[in-house]
Amino acid sequence: MSAAAKERLVSLAVFAALAGLWQIMSRVYVVEAQPGEPMIPGWQILFTRTFLSLADYWGGGFGVPTVADGAARTYLAATLSLLSHLAFTLARLCVALALGGGAGFALGLAVSWSRFTRALVEWPVHFLRALPLLAMVPLFQLWFGATFLGQSLFAAYGIGVIVFAATVNAVRNVPQIYIDNARLFGASRFALYRDVILPAILPAMRSAALLCLAAGWSAVLGAEYLGAQTGLGYVIVYAQQFAYLDRMFLVALVLIVCTSASFRLAQTLFARWLVWAPPSMRA
Amino acid sequence: MTSQRMIEFVHVRREYRRADGAHVTAVDDVSLIVPEGEFVCLIGPSGCGKSTLLQLLAGLDAPTSGSIVLKAKEIEGPGPERGMVFQRDSVFPWMRVIDNVEYGLKCRGVRAPERRRIARDYLARVGLTHVEGAWPRELSGGMLKRVAIAAVFANGGEVLLLDEPFGALDYVTRRQLHDVLLALWDTPGATRRTVLFVTHDVDEALTLADRIVVMHSGRIADDIPIAAMRPRNDDTLATPEIIAIKHKLLAHLGLQTKGAHA
Ligand SMILES: Nc1ncnc2c1ncn2[C@@H]1O[C@H](COP(=O)(O)OP(=O)(O)O)[C@@H](O)[C@H]1O
Ligand SMILES: [Mg+2]
Repeated sequence: MSAAAKERLVSLAVFAALAGLWQIMSRVYVVEAQPGEPMIPGWQILFTRTFLSLADYWGGGFGVPTVADGAARTYLAATLSLLSHLAFTLARLCVALALGGGAGFALGLAVSWSRFTRALVEWPVHFLRALPLLAMVPLFQLWFGATFLGQSLFAAYGIGVIVFAATVNAVRNVPQIYIDNARLFGASRFALYRDVILPAILPAMRSAALLCLAAGWSAVLGAEYLGAQTGLGYVIVYAQQFAYLDRMFLVALVLIVCTSASFRLAQTLFARWLVWAPPSMRA
Repeated sequence: MTSQRMIEFVHVRREYRRADGAHVTAVDDVSLIVPEGEFVCLIGPSGCGKSTLLQLLAGLDAPTSGSIVLKAKEIEGPGPERGMVFQRDSVFPWMRVIDNVEYGLKCRGVRAPERRRIARDYLARVGLTHVEGAWPRELSGGMLKRVAIAAVFANGGEVLLLDEPFGALDYVTRRQLHDVLLALWDTPGATRRTVLFVTHDVDEALTLADRIVVMHSGRIADDIPIAAMRPRNDDTLATPEIIAIKHKLLAHLGLQTKGAHA
């Protein structure tokens, strides 16, 4: 058996063991948070009753009636409910990554682009960086209320700060010899950034991207806790109000799967962009 | 010889201010004329200002006073008529070998098929046709130097600056690269490029140079023409005149030598 296959087998065994442990714990520790709501819901509950109960959060559409309108819980409604809230969360995350990542990256490059652009962005951005993200929560709430834009901008802010700092630092660490070489070959400033600076900072930006992806998920869920009517964060908070432990746990599981998938996606993308780099820079 | 003057250093001086506030004169009143097509080796002890002089000529740095004139025009920054090979690897790791060789031509707007043709030609001349699609990380140190040399020659600069390009290579590789470099420089039917080659290796200088300029503490300490026949080999470099020059150079570098002085 190959080393990779062995590793896979070990991971799978650990996964199965954890799932089994959870099931055993649900049998051993039978305390209930409230009547009918075990503290540790077993899998037989999670994948039946709990999953079905997600239909409660279905907002309607596609000819599938809502529970609020008196319809019975169905697996179809539950699935649609889960997917729709996931879609809202993902939409916020993508908008935040695009806005925050784009702005942080552009401003970060502006610091080294020219004296003028440096003077322009350096002060305001350092000021923004010094403000802790969580301190901005009340401000964002007052400015934007519980709107999609406000939640996305809040997460974008958290992401942008990370990307900005990483970009400035990465550009500063580009070996001078590559810059000199490009200038000697007659590269314009634009060509220098496109052909030398951008590829040279890519390995450093890879770790920054993974960092801001984690921060992005946290910030989006945090924003959804604060009064959103859609998204997985909303489902968790709503479930918490009624001590529906099993629903919170199920949504958390879905989140783990999604964040892992997003990390895998980012890693795959960067691995493709970094084919030229030695393996130590790609992993 | 009716050679045109290619490079002229006119009372060039470059001072640096170190972090502790002290002034260092890296290049101190250097005046030097290099005719077109000449292969000049700059030799001297470490810290005597060789790299600084090359950086100034490359246009990566500016003199504190004095001027550097290239084909009757004062240098104000880097330009495509000058190419440089460094001691440290300057080949871009994120471009395939052929793209590295093409890069200068690309910057100057040469069309893709034309620059590919030129790049292939120079890759063949440095013996790297078989790795044109490889990533630089897959190449040895000597091969990377060949790529860098092919790239500056492909770019067509009339003046080539090499700053201890083979300093980090083993003896055999270094000797092979001397042949590669000389074959490119002395291509029949083509005009010779003007070369400034920094080294601290006396034998390397004697193998390559038309003229050896010795630097010491930022100044030119000696300027010695090397009349030996080309192509040179260990036998043509074993004449009494060359051996006398070798002793002189070693003395300039502060090394005690046994045997006769000229
Ligand atoms: N950027 C710099 N800042 C301060 N001092 C420098 C700088 N570059 C070179 N020097 C000094 O100038 C002198 C000549 O350096 P260099 O030209 O690199 O010598 P060489 O290449 O002959 O070894 C040295 O004393 C070095 O410390
Ligand atoms: Mg040097």
